[in-house]
Parts: sequence; structure tokens; C-alpha cells
Amino acid sequence: MLTFKMCMLGSFSVGKTSLVRRFVTSIFSEKYQTSIGVKVDKKIVRVQDQDVTLVLWDIYGEDAFQKLQMSYLRGMSGYFMVADGTRHQTVDVALALEQKVTEAMGRIPFVFLLNKCDLVDQWEIEPETEKNAAAHGLGALRTSAKTGEGVDEAFLRLALAMLPK
Amino acid sequence: MGATPIFETFLAEQGLALFEYLGKGSFRSIGAFPKWLKEIWGAEIGRAKTVRLGEQSPFLENFLFDAERFWSSRASGTVNSGNWIERGRGGVETPLEASALRLDGKKVLVVRNSSAAFAEQTQWLQTARDSVLEHERLMREIQNKEILLHCIIHDLSQPLSAMRGCFNCLTVGDLPPDLKPFVETGQRESHRQEQMIRGVLDAFSGDLAAVKSHTGAVAESADLAACARHAVRNFSAAFMEKGIRLQLDPNLDVRREWRSVGDAPRMDRIFGNFLENAMRYSPPHTTVTVGVEDKGALLGAFVDDEGPGLPADQSADKLFALFSKGRDRPGKAGLGLYFCKMTVERWGGRIGAETRAKGGSRFWFCLPPAPNASETGAAGPVRPSKKPFREFAEEDSAPAGSRPVGKAAKNLRVLVADDTEVNRELTMELLKARGHSAVGVADGRQALDALAKARFDVVLMDEVMPGMNGLEATRAIRLREAGSGKHQVIIGLSGNATKEDEKRSLDAGVDAYLPKPFDMHKLFQMIEFAAHSGSADMISAVRPADSAESVAGHLERATAGNKKLAQSLVRSFLADAPKRMADIRRAIARNNAEMLATTAHALKGSVAIFGAPESVAAARNLEAMGRAANLHGAQEEFRALDRELNRLRHDLLALAVKPAKKSSMRGSAWRARRRK
Repeated sequence: MLTFKMCMLGSFSVGKTSLVRRFVTSIFSEKYQTSIGVKVDKKIVRVQDQDVTLVLWDIYGEDAFQKLQMSYLRGMSGYFMVADGTRHQTVDVALALEQKVTEAMGRIPFVFLLNKCDLVDQWEIEPETEKNAAAHGLGALRTSAKTGEGVDEAFLRLALAMLPK
Repeated sequence: MGATPIFETFLAEQGLALFEYLGKGSFRSIGAFPKWLKEIWGAEIGRAKTVRLGEQSPFLENFLFDAERFWSSRASGTVNSGNWIERGRGGVETPLEASALRLDGKKVLVVRNSSAAFAEQTQWLQTARDSVLEHERLMREIQNKEILLHCIIHDLSQPLSAMRGCFNCLTVGDLPPDLKPFVETGQRESHRQEQMIRGVLDAFSGDLAAVKSHTGAVAESADLAACARHAVRNFSAAFMEKGIRLQLDPNLDVRREWRSVGDAPRMDRIFGNFLENAMRYSPPHTTVTVGVEDKGALLGAFVDDEGPGLPADQSADKLFALFSKGRDRPGKAGLGLYFCKMTVERWGGRIGAETRAKGGSRFWFCLPPAPNASETGAAGPVRPSKKPFREFAEEDSAPAGSRPVGKAAKNLRVLVADDTEVNRELTMELLKARGHSAVGVADGRQALDALAKARFDVVLMDEVMPGMNGLEATRAIRLREAGSGKHQVIIGLSGNATKEDEKRSLDAGVDAYLPKPFDMHKLFQMIEFAAHSGSADMISAVRPADSAESVAGHLERATAGNKKLAQSLVRSFLADAPKRMADIRRAIARNNAEMLATTAHALKGSVAIFGAPESVAAARNLEAMGRAANLHGAQEEFRALDRELNRLRHDLLALAVKPAKKSSMRGSAWRARRRK
């Protein structure tokens, strides 16, 4: 069976852990629990009539207190760059991080996720910024770990891009 | 390598598991396989003689690359994996950490159960991040309120614009003498109301800035004595009407400089509040004295009256509290003295009131001297100087009274784009009375159409309009002009009056910005100035004079009055600053702390020559972030620096074009402006 390593990257409190949790266990918790270190989960999905094991590396959020260790990305086949749609500065962090990852690892498939799309009234991302984010990697998707919107689609989109052509 | 029972007990107690690396991914447990690790990876793992740890955990598998590299190198010490969470067979999550090291020449891997340290680390990190989130939430809340306030201010400004326009129109013709005082009162009061609206906006913007910067730092300065003089001049007529004498303290030492922290418009409001209070409580035929005095480390200002003094049961603290009013003769909303307290304290000063020994009361405030006052000799005599910029600005912003409109030397064609019909019509009437011709349109789209059909010397462009607003229309005009060599003079009008609003308009491409409601003489001055000498010169007419003066002062001091050197510094700064900003932007985008520290440091040095404390502070903050390798918030700081540099640039351009029109600086300033 094909196995792919996928990493969740982005600023802190953007919902990386929640997205993985939603995807793997279909559970969501409102309480923000900060992540330290790395948590690895697995899920088997069916993509183009074949089973694929996704090894999901939920890596702690980048901020002043914790910096991303590039060695964690070794061997990854794709990644999600996650930003919080209600905090515009997380998009800046994501874009800077993407540049850092590309410089270190070369071009690797990724999907830009604008998470928390259920919080429409608090949405801070301008259409222009969203358009800019969509121009990166495999495009941008609005997701909500709370409602599940866009979550399966995001993982499948990335998995599909990782399949050998 | 074996392990004694006591050593095994020690390892178990410490939550440590030691493995010797045998090569090709195989490990042998040193001592018995720890029980806690069996609970995570399963009991069967302990039964095998060797174990392939990489197969137990994808994280460990990844780390073994680093560990093997370390073991095969001659490096000393250890290499650590960082924390990872391992989910046991029963679903229990355990934080682990691994280290690779050498012991007795053996390759050893230590796996540590880091539960205790992890919990502590999680707790402080959670607290720190919760605080950051809370701060972000507060910032958003303040910004939302700011937007709401801007809307309210805008709505208040529109009818006020109309009222001022009406008063202005009345003064155009020959006004019957008996009506003149009423019109003047209307003008004066509408001007006061305008100042109050701006004051509210400024106070709110100040609060926002304070929250943003986390510091109470105030960079502006104002001349206390000039403000006191200004207050006496402004209020003398009102006092006279009540039979009260208003005077500037005869003992005021006019030879020295009284520059303190603060800004003149808000200081005017403080004096204004004190004087209104004194007027309310002073009996006729008494004297109210406004003065300034040295209070040691602080500079003090006071308003003395000869009224009944403070009520015995009312402390000064209560007087300055929110919604506090006098007992017998209530004032207005009870916000005035509260505003004074809030403002003075934000500037790092103190405020108070007391009953004077000779009778009457004294309302006072003390402020720290301006940061550069000691350098320039605060106690020294005032240097002979040109007419202060501030006086020029005051004259401009004061109500026009019944100054005659007069006819302009040259008839100009002016396009007035304003969606509020009454304001548009009044502006056009005033322009016509001045001898200009005016065409009115109601939105940006119509303005573009009008410009396509006819030539106009000046466009007055309101910012907020339905459909295409003023900023969009301005951008569209600039886009049309690109590469054509043409330049349409555009003056931006807006009911919003903060520096941010001004910057937004200038960024969109307007040549100058005039907050509404505006004084008609100022409007004429700008239009005629613009049409006569082109847009670049207008910058000096509309920029706050204090700021340009401060830059000029710094530059003069830095160059010991050497004008050639000053011009050369300005030229190289205007040429270099954009490159340095691009370097800083790049450093932030790449998360390159070292580069950020170096580039921000270089920029800070070149900005400091011009004073520009806000720019210096922003550059300093970026440098500090770089040095601390902590770029959190660098984007925001960069934006602040960009804003401040834009202001400085305008001030420098103003300096370059204003004092010596024949100077070669003018050309470069022009070009710089055109390029923008």
C-alpha cells in the first residue's frame, strides 16, 4: 500500500490539530489546547481506486516561542499550510513559512488552508489575499474543523497530488 | 554493556530507556526493557533480544537519520529529537524525547518520558499564547470601534460642513453690521465643534496607538507658553463679554523655551477646558491668569481664578473623574476635565486643582520637558527664529471670521466631486464667489467622465462617495496618466481626519488632503497654490507644520547649519530609504533575523539624523526583533515604519521645496513625487 507523509504547518492556534482530529476521528473540540512537539496520526483513504496510508504529522505552531525544525519535514510528500481566516497575520506567517520550506526542501505539493470558515462574521481575509494564497501550491481551500467543511476535500486533494503520475 | 539492578531502578525512576545501537536499525535494550515503554509499544517488544525502534514510531524513524549521522561523525555531545507524542495501545498519549550520544564508545539512544516537564512547558506556552490571542482580540475590537467611530465622525462632519459653508457664504457678500456678530459666533462655534470632533478622533487614535505599541511613549512636543498665549487670545473676547479680565501671567519668562511632551491641538483643548471652567465660576470684575512655570523636572501650566475656590467636599480627584460636574452650576457633559486628565497622564504628566491661599482656585498640569529640550537648552534664551510654523498653521485653522473672500488673481476650473448635494453646491458657490468656475459631480465615476470631456485645473475629490469612491477614482486617474507626462492636481476631501485617513488618500495619489469641514480661505489657498506651482509644493501647505519644523530643527542641528550638507543628506536619504525598506521587507519575508537586525539598524541610523522619533522607534523595534531572533509582529512593525517613513518623506520634500525655491532640491523632490 502506498504511504505518504503529510505535514500540517502554520502559525499557532490556526487549527492544525483540530483539522487532523476532524479528518481522522471526526471529532472537534472548541477548547484551544496548544500543541508542543509533534503528533503523528495515520489514516487510510481511498484515492483513485487504491488505498493509501496517510501519515499525518501535526507539527506545533510556529511563533516566537517555537520555531519549526526542518528535520521534521524529511521525507514528506506534501503538506498543508494552515492559516486562520479570522486572524489576517496568520496568513503572513504562512506565506513566510512556505517560502522557508520551499528554500529548504524544494517544491513539494501543498494546499493552503484558510481554516475557521464557519466564523464568517469574524472573517478577516481580503479577497485579494485569498486570491494570492490560492496562487500558491495546489490552491487555497476554506475549511472548518468545527463543521468539517472542506476538510475531507483538502486531504483528498493533497493525496491525489501525491500519487505517482 | 550491562546494567546493575540499582542502575535499572534509577532509569525507571527517571523515566529513561537506554538502547545500544547495533547497526542497520537494530537496538538492544541496556538492562531490562522498561515497563512504561512496553505500555506504549506493547509487551511483546520487551521479549525480543533486539528491537527495530524505527518501526515502533514514525517520529523515531525520522530521528534515527539524525542520530546515525551523529554517531558516524566525530561530533561530541548529544543530538536531541525534541518532543513528540506517542499514543499507546490503550490510546493514552505520552510525551517522549530522544537523544543520541556515545557512552564508553557505544552508540546509545536514550528515550525519555518527558511527561512532567512537558506538562509544565505546555502550561506556560498555553498561557503565553492565550495572552497573545487575547491581545489580538482586543486589537480587533478596538479597530472595529475605530471604524464605527469613523463612520459616526463622517456623518457628523457632513452637516457641519454644510453649516460652515453657509456661514462662509454669508461672509461673501456685504453683511449688515447687526448680523455680523451672529455669523461670527456661528463660525466660531462650528469651528469649535469641528475641533471637538477631531479631538475625539485623535484621542481614540491615541489610545489605539498606545495599545499597539505597548508603550506610552509620546514623541510629539509642543510649546506650553505658545499654547497659553493662544488660549488667552482665543478666549479674551468671551471673558470680556462676562466682565472678567483674562491675562497671560505677567511673570512669564519669555526668554526661555517651554517645550514639553504633548501636542498643541490637545494642549489647546486642556487650556480651553480650564478656561471654560474658570469663566463659569469667576464673578465679574475679577481676573483669570494663565501661566507657565518651572516645576523642577517638569514644566507646569496653570489657570488661576478669583472665584469661590473648590467646594470643600469635592476633591481634585473627583473633579477629574468621568462625568463629574460642578455642584451649583453644572457644566456640560462632565467629559472635559476627564479628557484633560486622560491626555496629560498619557503624556506622562500630572494634573490637579486646588484652592489658592489668596482665594480662588488653581487648575494646573505638569508635563515632562520634550525629549530634545535639554539638548537644545530648555532654559536658554529663545534663538532668533523665523515665524514659527505653528502660528502659520493656527492662523490657517482658526475660523475665518468675516475676512473678505476677495477675487483670485486667476480664474481656475475646478471639478467638485462630492455626493452630498448641499456641500457640493456650497463649495461651488464659494469657488464662484472667489472668481473660479466650478462643475459638480456626485461620485468618482462621474468625475472620471467629466475629466474625459473637459480640462480642469484642480479636482476636489471627496473620499466617501457611493459607487466609485474618491480613492478609487484617484487611482483610476493616476492610472490613466501613467506614462503620459500629464498630472491632474487632485485635492482629497474627507470627513475623516486622522493621519491614517490622510495617508490613505496620499497613497491613492491625491496631491494634498483637506479634512472636512474646511475653512474656505484654506481651500482657496490650496487650490490657487496648487494651480500656480504644481502639486509638489502643496505638500508643505498641508502637512502639519510642527512635524516639518521638528525635522528641520534636527537636520539643522545635525549639520550645524550647513545647508549643502543638509541637502545632500536629504537627497541620499530619499534615494536610499526605499532600498533599505525593500531589504527589511525581504528579511522579514525570509524570516532572516540577522538580516533584519542589520538592515533595520542601518535605516535607524539614517533616520535618526532627522529626529523622526516614530520612525526611529519602529526601526529600533525591528532591529530588536532581529537581534532576539523573534520576528513575531515584524510585519505590523514594518507597516508602522512604512507609514512613518512616508510622513518623514513628505516632511523632507516639504523642507526641500519650501524654504529655497531655487534650490536644486526642488527638482529632485519633484521627481521623487512624480515617481511615486
